[in-house]
Amino acid sequence: MKNLKVALAGQPNCGKSTIFNLVSGIDQHIANYPGVTVDKKTGKFTYENHKIEMVDLPGTYSFSSYSLEERVAKKFIIDDNPDVIVNILDASNIKRNLYLTFQLLEIGMPVVVVLNMMDVAQRRGIDIDSAKISEMLGCPVIEASGTKNIGGEEIMKAIVDITQDEEHYEDFKLNYEELEPHIKTIETKIDSSTSKLNKRWMAIKALEGDTTIIEYLEKDFFDIKTSLKKEEDKFHSLFDKDTVSFLATLRYDSSDIIYHKAIVDKKKGIETLTDKIDKIILNRWLSLPILFAIMFMIYELSIVGGYKLTDYTWPILAAVKNFVIDISPAPYLTNIPIMTDFAIWMINSANALVNYVPIFFILFILIAIMEDVGYMPRMAFILDRIFKKFGLHGQSTLPLVLGGAMVGGCAVPGVMATKGIADDRARMATILTVPYMNCLAKVPFYTLLLAAFFHESMSLMMFFISTITIFTALIVAKLITSTFLKTRETAPFVMELPPYHLPTIKGVILSASQRVWIYIYKVLTIVMAVAIVLFAMLQFPGISNESQIKYDRQLEKGLNTFDKKAQNNKYYKEVDTKDEIASLLNYYDGYKAKRMATTSKEGSLAVDNKYKTLNASYFKFIKPKKDKEAKKINRILRKLAKVRNRILRNVKNEKVENSLLGMAGKSVEPYTEYAGFDWKINVAFLSSFAARESAVATLGSLYENGKVDSQRAEEAMAENSGYTSLHAVAIIIFMLLTPPCIATMIVVKMQTNSYKWMMFAIFFPVFLGVTVSSSVFTLGTIYQWDGVEAMTYFYICITALALVLGMWPSKTINWKGGLKKNQKIYNNYQQNLMKGGN
Amino acid sequence: MNINQRLDSINSGNKVTIRKLHASGKLMHKLLDMGFIIGSNIEIVREAPLFDPMELKIQNYNISLRKSEANLIEVIKYEES
Repeated sequence: MKNLKVALAGQPNCGKSTIFNLVSGIDQHIANYPGVTVDKKTGKFTYENHKIEMVDLPGTYSFSSYSLEERVAKKFIIDDNPDVIVNILDASNIKRNLYLTFQLLEIGMPVVVVLNMMDVAQRRGIDIDSAKISEMLGCPVIEASGTKNIGGEEIMKAIVDITQDEEHYEDFKLNYEELEPHIKTIETKIDSSTSKLNKRWMAIKALEGDTTIIEYLEKDFFDIKTSLKKEEDKFHSLFDKDTVSFLATLRYDSSDIIYHKAIVDKKKGIETLTDKIDKIILNRWLSLPILFAIMFMIYELSIVGGYKLTDYTWPILAAVKNFVIDISPAPYLTNIPIMTDFAIWMINSANALVNYVPIFFILFILIAIMEDVGYMPRMAFILDRIFKKFGLHGQSTLPLVLGGAMVGGCAVPGVMATKGIADDRARMATILTVPYMNCLAKVPFYTLLLAAFFHESMSLMMFFISTITIFTALIVAKLITSTFLKTRETAPFVMELPPYHLPTIKGVILSASQRVWIYIYKVLTIVMAVAIVLFAMLQFPGISNESQIKYDRQLEKGLNTFDKKAQNNKYYKEVDTKDEIASLLNYYDGYKAKRMATTSKEGSLAVDNKYKTLNASYFKFIKPKKDKEAKKINRILRKLAKVRNRILRNVKNEKVENSLLGMAGKSVEPYTEYAGFDWKINVAFLSSFAARESAVATLGSLYENGKVDSQRAEEAMAENSGYTSLHAVAIIIFMLLTPPCIATMIVVKMQTNSYKWMMFAIFFPVFLGVTVSSSVFTLGTIYQWDGVEAMTYFYICITALALVLGMWPSKTINWKGGLKKNQKIYNNYQQNLMKGGN
Repeated sequence: MNINQRLDSINSGNKVTIRKLHASGKLMHKLLDMGFIIGSNIEIVREAPLFDPMELKIQNYNISLRKSEANLIEVIKYEES
């Protein structure tokens, strides 16, 4: 077996991934290129005694060092020294695609050229003489179609053949005419280099000003920059041309020659199907409605439809939970073993996240379809004008919509969808603003507060809440792009609008499952780790001895009452010891939990039967039917269960209050006081960090007074908290600006590749939230606003601010020459460029 | 009339030839890579619904460019023979 390393290169939209899927099958591994957030897909397969490892290079139009992708691809070629480069070309767009091919051929490594989408080219009436191209380029040229499964065998064969035929491989040389003597000079200069890389290639790249190569050469030839400058100046004075545009022009001219000799475009000038579709999709009047319709459809299918799907998947998760409870040590009256508590906590945390998997799967499928079809760049084209005003990019649309432009989305897929944004600063800004959108899990929290404090104006408040997020996101984007992100690398908006393509089922499913897998694998594991820490912070140090005695007494009293009332019962024998009562209570709780988890009649019947066979004598107390004596026991048992639950709740609340998290909540009370938050709210916010869902549960249990069990959480909150609607507004505002959950944090870390930005994504919203809600609360207290008034003023301020900021011209550090005016920014920018944009 | 104009001022449907690029640095590289070579022909396909960016056809494929960048490209109108 011989090992071969193959690099797969090609321009964006050439169908590289379909070819990759075609040859490497589903045995794919995704990682990042070292130090950057660019996906590195590796596929492994064998062909005729050769173990082939194929690495998918990022799609690049050129092979210089002006974008992150190009730097990454170049670094791979330099460091990993692949045996073969497979260059994928879009057969229907050969001219521009050849521009990259020339640069790949110059590297001096064996190249296999693959003409992909031959079927599309044929349909468009483009005749390609691939033998002629092969002859002109001096390398094998394979005709293929990734979507039609054509050409896989041939590509593998060509890879193996070309490596066995190395002696016969001829170096490809493009004649750069006037520049040749200058290339020669540099080549001679670096002749002593021990590098395995082709010297002519390095000389050409260096003359092109390729930073990666120049840095590489500088290690051996410290004065290389001076020599380069000398040659460039000489060339400029001789021919009045600069090297960069000269090289580009010559390459385009060369591809023009090939185009004219080997290709006949029979239908040139005739409108293609893409042109026809774009007349509608990009029409001035229709484009926006179509875009909103598509966004709405995605939202409906994934968030709404997916949420409905969770109705079916949730019972499975509930069953898993019940199973875990069943196998955990059973509680004894009010004494719940810490192991059991822990198991329940962990399974709850996991379930809260796994619950979203159906939503994500649908979402990722839809995103993959839109990517493959080619709608993404069109969306950017339509909306760029708005987003660019706030330092974002047209491509920020989808992430923001997924984050929850309408009521409820999720920041996790939103942040993951930022990957394709070409402009680094806009991409960072999008990652950091997506979490400000309304996440699904915040909705129950708002509903709770609105039901408790805004009975009459609920819909108005909901309107405010759901529409304000986009304005806050835009303001934050503007704020951070003109401050913290000011020096980030920006990219010119020069974006291809590729022809539409039908996606392949295989490609879509592969891409969606890979993304879901990342979520499950990366996010879940870390959330579990954090959940353990939070559990400990909520458990310790626990309740005091005095309280323990107090609660023991309460329990004793409850048990005595039970005993007294049961004494004359004919079943007294079955419930006259503590142990019996304890197991009966567990039996009762278990039954109740399982009945709650089923919705169908058959399901509840099955639960009944299961419990009947489990313990028939206990079952009669739970479902007494006409047995009067059993009914009595049932009544007092339920009372006892209530007493027990109240004690458990009080113990839990006291534990929370005493816990490390409770202390933290109390210690920040002096600051949050200005916003009207007491420690309970603080604790709810802190615990909501693990998963938003828990905020409602925590608040609900903290505000229950324990007297009336039937009281709903919102009623309990309205009555027992002592809050006014102004307090509620302050809480809502904080929640609107609140930091993302851990799951989001992890994807932010993944996408920014930096803990620093992750910390920023946590603390900046907290700072904003506290500041803004404090100001609203303080002003509201002074001017005696009620909640709705305060919210209305806040809403008006935010929308007005967003509009004003939108008018403010966005200062782009860019490529136009305005750079030199601000040398400091320019230097920072250059440094970023060197560091690879990170 | 053979007056040089800036690309952003050309209306949709027109065809022009690139005369000069006033861009520099990164934008210059990007434009060259995408085929904005002196002497190449560009067809202005349309403007975005909000009037910016614009869609162009160059080297037989479609590309979009913000007007601020298109302003750096000097072109001359040509009549198809």
